[in-house]
Amino acid sequence: MTVGGFAGSVLYVDLTHGKIEKEPLDLALAEKFIGGFGLTVKLAYDTIKPGTDALSPDNPIVLGVGPLVGTNLPSTSRLYVATKLPSSETIGWCGGGGVNFGYLLKNAGYDHVVIEGRADRPVYLKIIDDEVEICDAGYLWGRGVEQTCEALWKGFGRPTGVISIGQAGENLVLFSMAFIDRLSTLGRGGFGAVMGSKNLKGIMVKGSRGIKVADRKRYKTLSETFLQTIRDYPYLKEWQDLGLVKSFPMIVPEETYKRMKKRRVACVSCPIGCKDVVEIPDGDFQGLLKCTSSVLNLYTPVLYGFKDYRESIRCMATLDNYGLDMFEFFGVMGLAKALVDHGLISKDSLDEEIIIDSLQSMEIWARNICYREGLGHILAGGFKAILMEFGEEAKKYAPPLVKGMHPYAGPGCAISWDLFGTMELGQVLDPRGPHVGSGGSPTYFAKRPLEVFPRHLTRMGAPKEAIERILPGLQSPGQKPELRVGRLLRYSHRWFSTLGSLGICVRAAINRFYNAALCAQFYEAVTGINTDLSELGRRVDRVWTLLRMANVREGLDRKAEALPEKWFEAPGFKDYLTEKSLNRQESEEMIEDYYEEWGWDRKTGVPTAQVLKELGLTED
Amino acid sequence: MGNYDIQVSTESCTGCLRCQLVCSDLYTETFNPSTARIQVVTSSADCSIHFTEACNECGVCVDHCFHGALQKMKREAEK
Repeated sequence: MTVGGFAGSVLYVDLTHGKIEKEPLDLALAEKFIGGFGLTVKLAYDTIKPGTDALSPDNPIVLGVGPLVGTNLPSTSRLYVATKLPSSETIGWCGGGGVNFGYLLKNAGYDHVVIEGRADRPVYLKIIDDEVEICDAGYLWGRGVEQTCEALWKGFGRPTGVISIGQAGENLVLFSMAFIDRLSTLGRGGFGAVMGSKNLKGIMVKGSRGIKVADRKRYKTLSETFLQTIRDYPYLKEWQDLGLVKSFPMIVPEETYKRMKKRRVACVSCPIGCKDVVEIPDGDFQGLLKCTSSVLNLYTPVLYGFKDYRESIRCMATLDNYGLDMFEFFGVMGLAKALVDHGLISKDSLDEEIIIDSLQSMEIWARNICYREGLGHILAGGFKAILMEFGEEAKKYAPPLVKGMHPYAGPGCAISWDLFGTMELGQVLDPRGPHVGSGGSPTYFAKRPLEVFPRHLTRMGAPKEAIERILPGLQSPGQKPELRVGRLLRYSHRWFSTLGSLGICVRAAINRFYNAALCAQFYEAVTGINTDLSELGRRVDRVWTLLRMANVREGLDRKAEALPEKWFEAPGFKDYLTEKSLNRQESEEMIEDYYEEWGWDRKTGVPTAQVLKELGLTED
Repeated sequence: MGNYDIQVSTESCTGCLRCQLVCSDLYTETFNPSTARIQVVTSSADCSIHFTEACNECGVCVDHCFHGALQKMKREAEK
C-alpha cells in the first residue's frame, strides 16, 4: 500500500538570502510525529536555537497542515504554526481554521513550510504549486489585513489562500496577530510581530494537485458511516444556523444575530460552518460588512463595557484590520487607564483621553498603538513593557497575568467564568500561555454531572485506569466522587494534540463527533501507516512532551506556571465540583497532578528520563 | 445528460467545497477541488456556483452538500 494523505514535501524559505528549497517529507519522522501540529512542533524543536529572541531573524516560523487536510473528512482544514512568541517568550503554537489556505497548501504539494531569516524589504511569499517566489510587498505594506487579502485576491483570483498581518504586525506590536483568509486568527502571543520582524507581510498559496488516500475502500466505509452520524445529529441545523451563538446566547442575543446575519462561512470540508459574515443593519454604521471567525468575537468590546453592539462590531472591524489581539488590547487599555486614574501617567501627556467604552477613544488608541505614537509606543510592548516603564507601583493595577499575558476567562477577565476547569487551568499550563480553548473537555460547560465524564474521557483517548485517577470514587458506591482537574487537563491536551496533528478542527461543534479510536482508524486509512489507538496515543504524547522539552530548553520552570495571585482574591475562582473558593495550595496540587499524569517530574514539570526514553525522545 | 437537474441556492452556500471534494474524488480518485465539475467561488457576501461542461449531473455533489445549497430534481422526461 502506498502512503496517502501527505503532500510529500517541506518548503524551506530563507528570507535573508532569498533561498527557496523544497525537500521530500521524511516519512519516518512524519510517522513518529503524526503530521500537522505534531510534525510542526518537531520541526520547530529542531530549527529553533535555544535562547533565540522571538523577533530576531534566527527565530523560524514553522507552519503545517495535517495528513487529513485536503480530504473530505469533516472539518479537516486546520493549520498550525510554531515559533517563539514574543509576549510569552515561549515556544508556542498558533492554530486556526485553515479556511482555504490549509487545503491549498496541501494541493500545492507541501505539508510544512519553514521560514527563516529576515527580508531586506517588505515581501510576501508566493506559492503556486512548484512556483515559489519571494515577492515585493511594498504595495501591501501599510495596508490592513482586509485590504491585503483583497489585493492578493484581486491579483491572483480565487481561490487563493492568504495569511497576512496588518499594521500592528508590521510595527512589531507584541499583541499582534496574523489572519488566515482574513477570517481565522493566528495569534495571541504576538505571532503578527514575528512575521513583521521578518518583513513578511503575507503568504499566498494556490494549489492544483490533489490528495490521495491510501486505503480507499476502508476510507469510504468509515467516512460514509461517520458523515451519516453527523447528518443524524438532531442539533445540526441549529449549529449551522447559529454557529457559536447557539452556545453563547447570553453574549449575542439570537434575534440581534439574525438581523445582521448575511452568510455563514465554513472552512473547506466543514459541514457546520461556524464563521460569520454580518452586516450592521442600522445606525451610524449601517451597511458595514464584517467577516469574522465568529460573531462572538465581535461582541468582545461589549464584554469590556461597550453599550451599543453596532459600535462594538465597528471597533472589532478596526482591531482585526490592524491585526490586533482583542483581549490583550482591552487589557492593556484597562491598565493604561488605571495608571492615568492613579497618577502614574499624567493626563496632560495624553492627546486623547482613555475611555474604555468609547468607540472613538478606542479607535484612536488602537491607531496610536499600531503606529507606536506617543504613549502608544509603550503600550505596543504589551504588559511587560508597561510594567517595566511604570515600575512596581503599576503592578497592582494590572489584571491577572499569565506568562505575561491577559487571560480571557476568569475573575478580572473578559469572560468572568468562575468555575475552575481544564480550560482555566489550561490557560496557565499550555506553554503558549492563555488562549481560547484547549481541545475539549467535559468541564467546558459548568456543572456537568460527573457521571457523563467517563464517556467524554474515553472519547478523548483517556485509558480506563486514567479515568479512575481523574474521577476517584465515582465507581465506588457510598464514596463521594472527586474530580482531579490537573489529571483531566493532561488528556485534554492529548486530545487537542490528536486533532491538531491529524488536521481536525478543535471547535466543540465538530470535535464532539470524533473520538480517539476513530481518529486512529481515519489516520490509518488515509495514510496507510499502521496505527491503533494505543500507538496513536503514544505518538501524541511524544508530540506534547517534545513541546514541553522545547520550553524547558528555553528555561520554562514551575514558577512561570503559578496561577496569578489575583485569581485568589475575591471573588476569585471556585472549585469546579464543590464551588468552594479555590486556594493556592489546591491549584499547586492540580499542577503537580498534571505533571505527574504526563510522567513528568511532579515538582519541576520536567519530563523524566524514563518518559523520554519510553517516547523515543532520547537523543542518542 | 444525467438523471437530474441540479438547482443551486447560492445564499445557503458556505464555501465548504464538500461538493468539489467529492466530485473530484469520484472521477479522479483524488481529492482535488480544482478538477471538480462543480466550481464554487465565494467572496465576502457573495457566492457563485457553476458547472463545467464535463458535468453529467450525477448528483454526487448534492448528496454531500450539508448546507442545502444544492438540490436535485428528477428530469421531466424521465418521470
